Amino acid sequence: MNYAILACTGLDKPEGSVAREVAIRLAETTGAKIICPVALNRTPARYKRALAENRLIVVDGCATKCASKLAAATGTKVAQKVLVSDVVKAAGSALDPGLRLGPGALELARKMADGISENEAFTPKKTRRAGEAPAEMEFEAASDHVVVVHDKYEFRIPATGYYFNANDVWAQVAGTRARVGISDYLQQRLTDITYVDPPEIGATVAQFDELGAIESTKAAFDVISPVSGVVVRVNEAVADAPESINEDPYGSWIAELDLTAWDEDRALLVDGPAYAADVERKAAEE
Amino acid sequence: MMAAEMNRTRKVGIIACSGEEIAQGTISRSAVRRVLESLRPHDTVTLCLPLFLAGNEGERNFTRTHPIITIDGCDKQCARWGTEKHGGPVARALVVSDILGTDAGGCSRSSRTRGQADEKAVAAVAERIAAEVDTLASEGAELEGDGSS
Amino acid sequence: MRTRDMVLVIPCSGVGKVHGLISRESAYLVTDELAPEDTDVVCLALLVREDEETLAKVRACPCITIDGCAKACAQRNVEIAGGQVAKAFQVAKALGSHRGIQPGTGSDLTEEGWAVSREIAEAVAEDAVRLCQGEEVA
Repeated sequence: MNYAILACTGLDKPEGSVAREVAIRLAETTGAKIICPVALNRTPARYKRALAENRLIVVDGCATKCASKLAAATGTKVAQKVLVSDVVKAAGSALDPGLRLGPGALELARKMADGISENEAFTPKKTRRAGEAPAEMEFEAASDHVVVVHDKYEFRIPATGYYFNANDVWAQVAGTRARVGISDYLQQRLTDITYVDPPEIGATVAQFDELGAIESTKAAFDVISPVSGVVVRVNEAVADAPESINEDPYGSWIAELDLTAWDEDRALLVDGPAYAADVERKAAEE
Repeated sequence: MMAAEMNRTRKVGIIACSGEEIAQGTISRSAVRRVLESLRPHDTVTLCLPLFLAGNEGERNFTRTHPIITIDGCDKQCARWGTEKHGGPVARALVVSDILGTDAGGCSRSSRTRGQADEKAVAAVAERIAAEVDTLASEGAELEGDGSS
Repeated sequence: MRTRDMVLVIPCSGVGKVHGLISRESAYLVTDELAPEDTDVVCLALLVREDEETLAKVRACPCITIDGCAKACAQRNVEIAGGQVAKAFQVAKALGSHRGIQPGTGSDLTEEGWAVSREIAEAVAEDAVRLCQGEEVA
C-alpha cells in the first residue's frame, strides 16, 4: 500500500512544525510521498496522479484543520487524519511556544509518525463473525419528499424513512444503527453553515442529549439527539466541508449511533408527513 | 415529489436591482431592506436578484403567485427584465431616478461614505415602495372579497 | 510593468444576507481605495441582462468575482457571458475562518464585518495588481 502525506506545516504555532516533522519522518521511514500544501493550493494538477495512486494521510496542527480543508477542496478521499493538538492534549503535556522543535516535540513527532506507519492510528477493519451485524450499514437515500411552501421558501422533507424531533433533527434507522442530521427547514433558517463540531466517537447519549453543535453566520445550534445510543462514526466530510449540510441536508449526516432504546425513542418522534405539518405551522408563526 | 397544499401568504415580493456601478443601485438595495425590516416587515418578502436569475425555483415560483414590485436604479431596469423573463408579471416597476427626480447627486455607492443625502434618498424611495405595497395589498384584499361574494 | 488595462471586480450583492453586503463593500474597497487605477466594478444585473457594453467589458478584461456563498452567482454568470474568471472569492469561506464573529446583516456591517470585508478586499487588490502586471494568480 502506498501513501501520500499532506501536512499543514503551519508557521504560526509549534503544532504546525510538529505536523511537518511527522510528514518528513513518514516519508523517510515508509517512502510515502509528501504533498506540499502550498503547491497543492497553487497548482493542484501537480499532485493529481499522486493523489489518485496513493492513500492520503492528512496531518493537521490545530483545529483550523487547513490540511483537511485543502484535501476536501480537491475532492480527495482521506484514509486517515491526525490532529497534532489532540495528540498533545491526550499526552497531557504542552509544546514549547517556539517554532523550532525541542527534543520533547521531536520525540512526539517520531511517535506519531511511527504510530501511523505501524497502522496503530488506523481504525482496524473488523472481520465479521457469524451472526454479527456488518460494520457499515446501508442507509438509502430518500426518494420521495413532501414539500412545504411558505413565501419564497420550499422546505423538503423525506416522505418515508426519516424521523424527526421537535428540534428539527432527523434520524434515519437501518437495523440497529441510526444516522442523525438536521432538516432542510433548519438548514435554511441557519443559512450558511461554517462549523460542525461532531460528538466524540464512543460517547453514550440519551434521547434529547446534545450530539455535537453547528455554527452558521447567523446562529449557533446544539444538535439535540433524536435517539439514544453510542456514537460509532462521525461524518468527517461534513466536518471538513460544513456547507455540504446546506447543499444536501438529508445526505449530509453528522453522526452514526448504535441504538440502545429505539422502541422507546420512536414513540417521541414524528415521521415525514407529520413533521411537514410542524414545519408549516412553524413557518407561519415566524 | 408530493407537494403539501400551497401555503399562500398575502405578501408582496420586492426585487431590487442592487446594481453596483452607480449610487442608485445602492439606494435600491437599502430602500428594499428598510421596507423589509422596518416599514412593512409582515407584508413583504425580498427576492435576491442574483439567486432569482441563477434559477432558484422557490423565488421564481413566488413571483408567479404573488404581486411583485421591482426597484431598479436606472432605466435599464434589470430587475424588471429578469422578473418578467424568468418569473411572472411585475405589478409595479419603480426606478430610483424617477422617484428622486434628480441624479442622486451627493449619494454614494458604499455605506462607508453614507451621508445625509443617502439617508434622504433611501427614505424617499422606501416610503414610495411601502405605499405601493399598501396599494397592492388592498387590491388583493378587494379581489378576495369579490371572489367570496 | 503594466501589461493590462484593467481588472474587473464583480460582486454578487445578494440582498437577503450579510454575505451579499460584504461582497459589495469589498468590491468598493478595491475599486475606490486599494487599487483604483487597476480595477473597476461591474454590475452583475447588467451582465445577466446581457447589456452589450457590459458583455464586451467582461470578455475583454480579466475578472475577479466576489460571491456571497457557494451558489456563486457572480462567478457563474461571468463564465456564462464568456468572461474569464481569473480568481473567484466567496465570502462564506472567508467567514468560515473567523469563528464566532457577528458580521452584521444585509443592511449594515459590524466592525467585525468590515474587518472581513477589508481582508477580502486586500486579497482581491493584490491579485488585481498582479494580473495587471501580467502575472498569474492561484
